[in-house]
Amino acid sequence: MADAAFLALSVITIGSAIAALELRSLVYGAIGLMGTLGGVAGFFLLLDSPFVALFQIAVYVGSIAVLILFTVMLVKRELIFKKIEDPKRKWAGIGLMLIFMVAIGAVILDSGLKSVTTDEPPVDFREIGDDFLTYYWPALILMALILAGSVTGALVLARREDEISGPRTD
Amino acid sequence: MSVIAPKFRFSEFLKSITDNLFWIIILVTLIGLPVIMIVLLFVDLPVYQGELINPFLAFSWMFHPELSLPLIKSFMITDFFRIAVFPGFGFAVLLATSVIFIERKMLAKLQLRVGPFYCGKIEGILQLMADGIKLVTKEIIIPAKADKPIFILSPLMFVGAAAAFVALIPVAPGWVVADIDLGLIAVFAVIGFFPIITVLASWSANSKYPFIGGIRALFQMVSFEIPLILSLLGVVILTGTLNLSEIVASQASFPWIIFLPVGAIVFFIAMLAELERIPFDLPEAESEIVAGWLTEFSGMMYGLVQLGSYIKLYAFAALFVVIFLGGWNGPMIFPPLEEELILEGKTIGPITIQTPGLPIFSMEFFSGVFWFILKTAAVIFFILLPRGVFPRVRIDLLLDLGWFKLIGLTFLNIFIALALLYAGVFGPGGML
Repeated sequence: MADAAFLALSVITIGSAIAALELRSLVYGAIGLMGTLGGVAGFFLLLDSPFVALFQIAVYVGSIAVLILFTVMLVKRELIFKKIEDPKRKWAGIGLMLIFMVAIGAVILDSGLKSVTTDEPPVDFREIGDDFLTYYWPALILMALILAGSVTGALVLARREDEISGPRTD
Repeated sequence: MSVIAPKFRFSEFLKSITDNLFWIIILVTLIGLPVIMIVLLFVDLPVYQGELINPFLAFSWMFHPELSLPLIKSFMITDFFRIAVFPGFGFAVLLATSVIFIERKMLAKLQLRVGPFYCGKIEGILQLMADGIKLVTKEIIIPAKADKPIFILSPLMFVGAAAAFVALIPVAPGWVVADIDLGLIAVFAVIGFFPIITVLASWSANSKYPFIGGIRALFQMVSFEIPLILSLLGVVILTGTLNLSEIVASQASFPWIIFLPVGAIVFFIAMLAELERIPFDLPEAESEIVAGWLTEFSGMMYGLVQLGSYIKLYAFAALFVVIFLGGWNGPMIFPPLEEELILEGKTIGPITIQTPGLPIFSMEFFSGVFWFILKTAAVIFFILLPRGVFPRVRIDLLLDLGWFKLIGLTFLNIFIALALLYAGVFGPGGML
C-alpha cells in the first residue's frame, strides 16, 4: 500500500516538476510547482512526520507558490521570458542532472541508510519543541531573531512615505 | 383564475398526481429496489446479536421500523456518515444555506426593508429554494478566451477546500471527521489554499474585473493570514496542544476569550477579512468592479462559489467557537434519560412504552450540539452584522490595519499568554 502511494507521489512530484520547467504557460508552470511541493509534503507524510508535511503545505504551497503566481501575473511576460531555444543547453542540463543524481544516489546507497527501521511511531511535535528549548536553544534564538527581524523589516518596507492614511480631512 | 395556472382543472390535477404516483411505483420497483439490493451485496454489513447480517436479511429489515434501528446505528458509526452527513459536509451545507436566508432577512430588517417575501407563505421562506432552482437551471457561460480547465475546476476546488476546513471542526465530544493531532496546523494549511484558488479563478476568466478582484483578494487574504495565525498562538501556548478537540476540552470551566480577549478580537477582524465580508469586501466590491472575482461565473458555478464561501463562513465561525468560546461546553439543558426507560420500558397507566435500542444519541450529545450551534449562530450573527452598518474601507487602510495594528496586537496577545503562563496561573502546577 505504501509502495503504491510512494509510486503515485513520485509520479506526481517528478511529473509536475518537469511540467513546471517545460510548460510554455507560466501560470501552469506555477501550478506545476505547487504540485511538486505538495508531492514533497506527501513524502513527509509517508515518512511519518505530519508536522513537517503540514508546514510544507502551509508555507510552500500556501505562501511561496502564491508569491510566485503573483509575480508571474503582475510582470509582463516578455520582460522575464525570452525565447532562447538551445538544444545543446538542454542536453547539457539533463546530463548534469543525471550525473548529480547518480552521485547522490551512490552516496546514499553507500551510507548504510538501508538499515533504517520503518515501523517506528511518528515523531511527536512536542519532542521537537523540547529539543528546541533544551539542546538546540542557540538555533531557536537565531531563528527567532531572524523571524522578528524579517517581520519588522516587512513592516518598515510596507510603510508608505507619503503618510496620508486615515480619513481625509479636506 | 390565477395567472400561474390559467387552465386549472381539478380532474387534471388529480390525474397528474396519480400519474406521478404510478411512475414512482414503477420506477422504484424496477430500478430502486434492485439497486439497493445490488449495493447491499457489496457493502460490509455489521454483526448484530452475534451473527453477521446477510444482504437479504438487511434488505427485509430495512423496511421494518423497529428492526432497521441496528442498521441505522451501524451506518452512523461509519466514516461515510461522518464525512457526508453529520459533522461534515451535510451539516455544514444545511447551516450555510440557512445563513444565506437569515442574512438577507436580517439585513432587510436592519435597513427597514422587507427582504425576501413572496416565495412561501411565511416571510418568503422558500426564497432560497427558488434561488437554488434558478441557479441550477441557468446556462453556464464560459468566456470565449477563458482558460477552461482552471475556470471550470476552481469553483469545485473552492467548495472542496471549504469542505476540508469543515472536516477539521469538532462539533460534539468525539464527533469530528478528522481528529488529527495537528488540527490547528492543518487548519492553517487549508486556509492557505483559498487565495490560490481565488487568484487562479480570477486569472482564468481572462477579464479585467475578475483580475482586479482576484489581485485584491490575494493582497487581503495573504496579509490577513499572518494576524489570523498569530492570534491563535496564545491559546496554543496556554493549552500546550494543537488538537482542536483537546482545545475544546481544556475550556470545560471557562472559555479562553476571558483571558485572551485581544486575540479573540484580532482573530475576529482577520476572519472578516479572510471571508471577504463587509467592511473588507474589496475583492467583490459590487459598486466598483461589477462582482469582483465572481464576475464571469454564471449558473451553478456561481452557486458553487457562493456555497463554498458560506461553508467557509460557517467553518470560520465554528473555529472561533472552538478556540475562544468553549465549543460544545455548556450547562446540561436536556436531562439524561432514565435507566429504566432505556432498559425495560416505562409503564404509564395501562400502556407500557418500550423503546428497544432507541436512544440513538446520548443526551450529552444533544446538549453539546445545542451549545455548539447556539454559539456558532451567535458568532455568525456578529459576522453578518457589519454588513448592515459599515461602508467598505479603502485598500490602503485595510493593509495598514492588517500589517501594523493587528500584528502588533497579536504580539501583545502572545505576551499576555506568556505572562499568564509564567505567573503560574495556567500550565503545569498552575492555579486554574
